[in-house]
Amino acid sequence: MDSRVITITSGKGGVGKTTTTANLGTALAMMGKKVAVVDSDIGLRNLDAVLGLENRIVYDLVDVVEGQCRLRQALIKDKRQPELYLLPAAQTRDKNAVNSVQMEQLCQQLRPEFDYIIIDSPAGIEQGFRNAIVGADEIIIVANPEMASVRDADRIIGLVESAGKPEPRLILNRLRPEMVRRGDMMDVADVLEVLGVDLLGIIPEDENIIIAINKGEPIVYDKRTKAGRAYFNAAQRILGEEVPLEEVTEATSLMERLRRLMGFGPALTERRVRS
Amino acid sequence: MGVFEFMIGRKKPTPGEVAKERLKVALAHDRIKVNPELLELIKHDLLKAISQRMEIDEQHVQVNMAREGGFDKILADMPVKRQKIAFEWDPPSHSPAASALKGGPLHVEIERMRDDK
Ligand SMILES: Nc1ncnc2c1ncn2[C@@H]1O[C@H](COP(=O)(O)OP(=O)(O)OP(=O)(O)O)[C@@H](O)[C@H]1O
Ligand SMILES: [Mg+2]
Repeated sequence: MDSRVITITSGKGGVGKTTTTANLGTALAMMGKKVAVVDSDIGLRNLDAVLGLENRIVYDLVDVVEGQCRLRQALIKDKRQPELYLLPAAQTRDKNAVNSVQMEQLCQQLRPEFDYIIIDSPAGIEQGFRNAIVGADEIIIVANPEMASVRDADRIIGLVESAGKPEPRLILNRLRPEMVRRGDMMDVADVLEVLGVDLLGIIPEDENIIIAINKGEPIVYDKRTKAGRAYFNAAQRILGEEVPLEEVTEATSLMERLRRLMGFGPALTERRVRS
Repeated sequence: MGVFEFMIGRKKPTPGEVAKERLKVALAHDRIKVNPELLELIKHDLLKAISQRMEIDEQHVQVNMAREGGFDKILADMPVKRQKIAFEWDPPSHSPAASALKGGPLHVEIERMRDDK
């Protein structure tokens, strides 16, 4: 009834969809919501590992869709969050094993049981992507601040709109503040201007994310990390809370701050003012 | 541009700025599905129209799509080689030129060279 289906997609591969799905799902569960995270990347199962649940899989999404098992049998309960469940992707099946109608029905089946259903989309713009968005109320696009990723994101925005879905929101992942300050990487404002969508969150490049994935524990549990806090804030924004954007581009070193004060700073601040 | 940036003489755009500009052009292409062939045609049409009035340096003509302030635009960069100024001159009847012409108007054609390059 009140449930929301949110699809995380990107066009380009490897930009952080699965990481984002795991962290937003976990964060929403930490805030007391009933959450299902769905891995729709059939043949390339990953979400289970990011959540540390890879050893508990018995049934998968394709089994549910084909009626080999009941939905409840396939849902895996999270280790730490009692209200978080994973529906894993099939690993040994073809990526065209599921069609759009089946995916939409699956969403309908999940809705009565959960507040939030978060679907991890495969890369690309083919059937897998279309399956992932067909049942969604909202779409979140993950992009990195580099040309190929932003360009693919733009393509996805067009496809999402022509599918009759509301305008997607953006998670800008792997932002490197040092590079932005030097002018070597596009700024948040640049990407937003080019894409013309609203921002849901900025996740800095953070090696703790790789450590977290290695441990199978989403980074949102670690509030000492910048990426962990950034994901938590993004999840709060999904709930409609107004959380100010974390200053990822803030100067860290004293030297840097001094330089800025003296006007040696890079064009960043000025460009902001101009735009 | 900040004063200091100017002083250290950094006129070159940063890689971040370059990426943004390249993206804008690429996305404008992608969005309105203007393929290179269509742009070539538009370029040809523009050249044909403008060449009637001015001589264009065809080697250096650039026609591109870009996105600015939420609108897609066609940007044409056409360096002028020579400006052709042609007109009919009907000199006053009392002037020496008029008597030299014995009646009919004078066809004047002036070519002005580009002063740069
Ligand atoms: N903010 C970040 N900081 C550092 N590394 C990151 C960050 N986000 C993602 N990564 C790295 O990028 C890798 C790919 O991320 P992820 O698997 O979430 O991408 P994906 O979009 O799901 O990829 P695919 O298209 O293959 O499904 C991660 O394993 C991690 O090593
Ligand atoms: Mg993935």
